[in-house]
Amino acid sequence: MKKILLLLGGLALAHPALAADWKMDPLGSKLEFIATFEKNAAPGVFREFDARLRFDPDKPAGGSLDVAVKVTSADMSIPDVNKEIRNKDWFDYAGFPQAEFHSTDLRRVEGNRYAARGTLSLKGAKQPVEVPFTWTASGDGATMEGELTLKRGDFGIGLGEWKATDTIGAEVKVKFKVKLRRG
Amino acid sequence: MLRNDDDSWGAPAKLLHWVMAALIFAQIALGLAAVGWRLSPTKLDLFVWHKSTGMLILALLALRLLWRLSNRVPELPREMAAWERWGAHLSHFLLYVLMIALPLTGWVISSASNVPFRIFWQIPLPAITAPDKAVADAFATVHGWLVTLLAIVLFAHIGAALRHHYVKRNTVLTRMLPWGTS
Repeated sequence: MKKILLLLGGLALAHPALAADWKMDPLGSKLEFIATFEKNAAPGVFREFDARLRFDPDKPAGGSLDVAVKVTSADMSIPDVNKEIRNKDWFDYAGFPQAEFHSTDLRRVEGNRYAARGTLSLKGAKQPVEVPFTWTASGDGATMEGELTLKRGDFGIGLGEWKATDTIGAEVKVKFKVKLRRG
Repeated sequence: MLRNDDDSWGAPAKLLHWVMAALIFAQIALGLAAVGWRLSPTKLDLFVWHKSTGMLILALLALRLLWRLSNRVPELPREMAAWERWGAHLSHFLLYVLMIALPLTGWVISSASNVPFRIFWQIPLPAITAPDKAVADAFATVHGWLVTLLAIVLFAHIGAALRHHYVKRNTVLTRMLPWGTS
């Protein structure tokens, strides 16, 4: 009896280890956002962010994805624009310096394509978001890549007269490439 | 009459002169409004209008120069003094130079500022310089001086045309008017 309990306990401990824990390698990782400005692409990056993943590509259910983005590390490469996006009408650096995405609902779509359904907290708004990604294993590391489109209005980004979407478009594309290693 | 002759301007030359005159006045107003406007969607739109009009003026100018070079230029009245001829040639030369230099320096400012731009929200305009804030600031200053010079030359140009008409009573103004002949 004791032996069986030990065995069961061992299994219980062993099971979560099947879904490996992954840590992000910041050097090989990139998080971009592409807004539109007068019908042109206006690209930017978040220089600082971190992703943690519990994930088994063969058995995605039961995994989790947690992303933290330092909103104040946004860089749109135009000095005047960078000065503007920190304000209350846009990202509001002072009020909401960090954005987060949490998902405990990962599934395989097809082949190496997966989706993580979760909640994005950005500028005080929480919205359900599905993040599609591809998974490419390499040695003991892996790369997840994907893109999705968000509506800035859902998160109150661009207030007052900036709510109008003919000058600064409604949709913002988010692109990410995250290099992971087991950890 | 399409082509210019010794006495008068043909229809294409007149059309280009007056369309560009209207565009240049609108362009100066748009530029001043865009710079002075507080940051808002309206300001961004004003800049798109200003940059687009500048590119339109540059394109029309290319057409105009081709037309001018492939046509004779009506002669100046014989009684004009040497300094008057010299002034006429200098001011016309300066107008052409400014009509090139203003769009080009504007294009540099836009490129160096790294602001993406489509002419009339349609045709993407490539950058002609690398992003550099110092270059953008320097050319913005030059652009401002050039438009000041343009205002002075335009004042002289219009003043001279009116003097030809009302004081010297010759055909220099009327032969450029849309309905006028020599």
